[in-house]
Amino acid sequence: MLERAWTAGCAAAPLVAPGRVLGLVGSPGLGLTRLGLTLLADPAHGAAVAFVDVRGWLSPLAAWEAGIPPEHLVVVRCSERDSWGRVTAALLEGLAAVYAEVPAGVGGGVLRRLGALARARRAMLILRPLSGSLPSGLAQLKLVAEGVRWEGADSGHGRIVRRLLTLRAAGKEVGGIERLYEVEDEGTDVVRVVSQLAATEAGRAVG
Amino acid sequence: MCVWFPSWPLRRPDAPSDEPCQVVGPDGMVTAANALAVAAGVRVGMPRRRAETLCPAVATLPADPGAEAAAFEAVARAVETVAPGVEVAEPGLLFLDVSGAVRYYGGEEPLVACVARAVREVAAGARLGLADGPFAARAAAEGETMVADTEGFIAGLDIATLGVSEIVDTFRWLGISTLGDLAALPREAVASRFGRIGLEAYRLASGEDREVSPRSLPQDVAVEERFDPPLRDLEQAAFAAKSLAHRLLEAVGPGIPHLVVVEAMSAAGEVRSRTWRSADPFTEGEIAERVRWQLRAWVEGGGIPGGMARLRLVPGDRSDSGRQMCFGEDAASEVGARRALARAQVLVGPDAVLQAVPQGGREPGERVRWHRWGEPAPQPVHDPKAPWPGRLPDPAPALVPPPCRVEVEWDDGFPVRIRLGSRWEEVRNWAGPWRRTGRWWDGEQHADRYQIVTSAGAFLCEVREGDCYLVGIYD
Repeated sequence: MLERAWTAGCAAAPLVAPGRVLGLVGSPGLGLTRLGLTLLADPAHGAAVAFVDVRGWLSPLAAWEAGIPPEHLVVVRCSERDSWGRVTAALLEGLAAVYAEVPAGVGGGVLRRLGALARARRAMLILRPLSGSLPSGLAQLKLVAEGVRWEGADSGHGRIVRRLLTLRAAGKEVGGIERLYEVEDEGTDVVRVVSQLAATEAGRAVG
Repeated sequence: MCVWFPSWPLRRPDAPSDEPCQVVGPDGMVTAANALAVAAGVRVGMPRRRAETLCPAVATLPADPGAEAAAFEAVARAVETVAPGVEVAEPGLLFLDVSGAVRYYGGEEPLVACVARAVREVAAGARLGLADGPFAARAAAEGETMVADTEGFIAGLDIATLGVSEIVDTFRWLGISTLGDLAALPREAVASRFGRIGLEAYRLASGEDREVSPRSLPQDVAVEERFDPPLRDLEQAAFAAKSLAHRLLEAVGPGIPHLVVVEAMSAAGEVRSRTWRSADPFTEGEIAERVRWQLRAWVEGGGIPGGMARLRLVPGDRSDSGRQMCFGEDAASEVGARRALARAQVLVGPDAVLQAVPQGGREPGERVRWHRWGEPAPQPVHDPKAPWPGRLPDPAPALVPPPCRVEVEWDDGFPVRIRLGSRWEEVRNWAGPWRRTGRWWDGEQHADRYQIVTSAGAFLCEVREGDCYLVGIYD
């Protein structure tokens, strides 16, 4: 599904589906926050969406640039690991889409219960672990940032305008075959897949 | 103005006057009790079983809101002969907008006297109160007073007037015994400690209930149904009311109508209308219920000559509450979203469930004005349309951490390496600086902002007073 949608050039929207759990894995600076915000933009046009902000660092400017209407974005700051699961579960009970940064040390059981809740409530859940990865099999689609290349800045001239993000996609949505994608993002609400770089046969345990 | 009849549900032929009596709603709670029952400890809102334990001799009558509304229609009509703008909140309680009528009658006292006279002709025992806003007017009706200074009047009311039992005891324990004590507290502190329910109490205590801020509704959202041949059966009309209520909420969106005008036209062309009001937005079932009560009232009060040829519902909204977010059209999702966010607010506190509005500024942090979810969106402090020279270009960094010092190696004014945590990253490219001059007359230093691109990502750095700070991550 991912490959069909992405190679057709309509990257973000088909990824967003009720009840889907999406994992975004990679260190800060690789562009996954903005990618997640772009994915939230579609459900945010009809309803409220929530961003669970563990560090309290989110800039709503980026969310608005990604296409989320200000009146539909609710930022829930929750830095405590113990209450994080309950807060995210409460949001999944009533919202169409939730982007949740996962604090370090949250157990796999909590994440699996949230995944089951998202499927039961038909809410979209995007999980972004702040350290480490996600338990295998949890996310139907896991996007791992492999690298990023920024364009526009040139030795003091210009400004950063565009980036090319290399993503490794894995999970049930790509049929158990890991694939590498290059995604172009110009800071607006549209991200575009430039190319599918490679596909490798993955083992059965790919999550 | 408020016209209130205490224990209106007890005004029915089968209610005994010489023994304790209570009326119980379908939820098993006491909705009215006579003086003998009250003397024995029975209170409105109490579970039936508890009331019967306290007063075993109490006679219990099932509530019949339809009959109560039908009986109250005469009162509403009587008030309407004095001034238009009657809004029925529930059987036994109505409000009247007297802003125009006061001038017509030459003052508040003559107006109140006229209303009292008109009401007395149809039902005895009414209590009238005059104040700014429904909450104060209702409280004034308890003491049958005309309030000149609403702010002072509200400030002197006991905290129990709020009727929110969940927090009244806590307020008392904290030494807050009047609404004035509550209004004197910082709004932020009340919101932080008590959440939405506390904010609502604070709003009433500080007299904000007086502020009527109409929300513009499209003119053509009224829904109507025409009947040919005209309807003569109340049950058929009630059935039509259900579908009309559904259509109305579909047209205006959920959580909106606090006022609904029920309008019926007879076969002879005579139009009757009545406004119903609610503190909370009407649900579909509540609208249908009000329409049914109203139709029954009209039928029992002389009927609709020739049957009902048209039924029309017109929404109105004159309350600020309920205006929180512009959710989508799906009522269920809106209610669910609100409930979910309210639950999150309980778990993490009101200060951690936030929304933001854009405003002007040079820094990413300055261009955002945060406010708590559930509170009205504030006006921007800085004009977002102003030019803001020195503002950073788009795209904005997705993450704005608190400024932290980072080590940067420079070569002839060019950044060469940046230390991220424990490792050094080579600067692949950079842009800037964008200079922020600062208010030098206030002692602010100027600062230069750079976009620094490494293999680990792009970062926004600020150089001031010789030190470099990480202020944004283009994540």
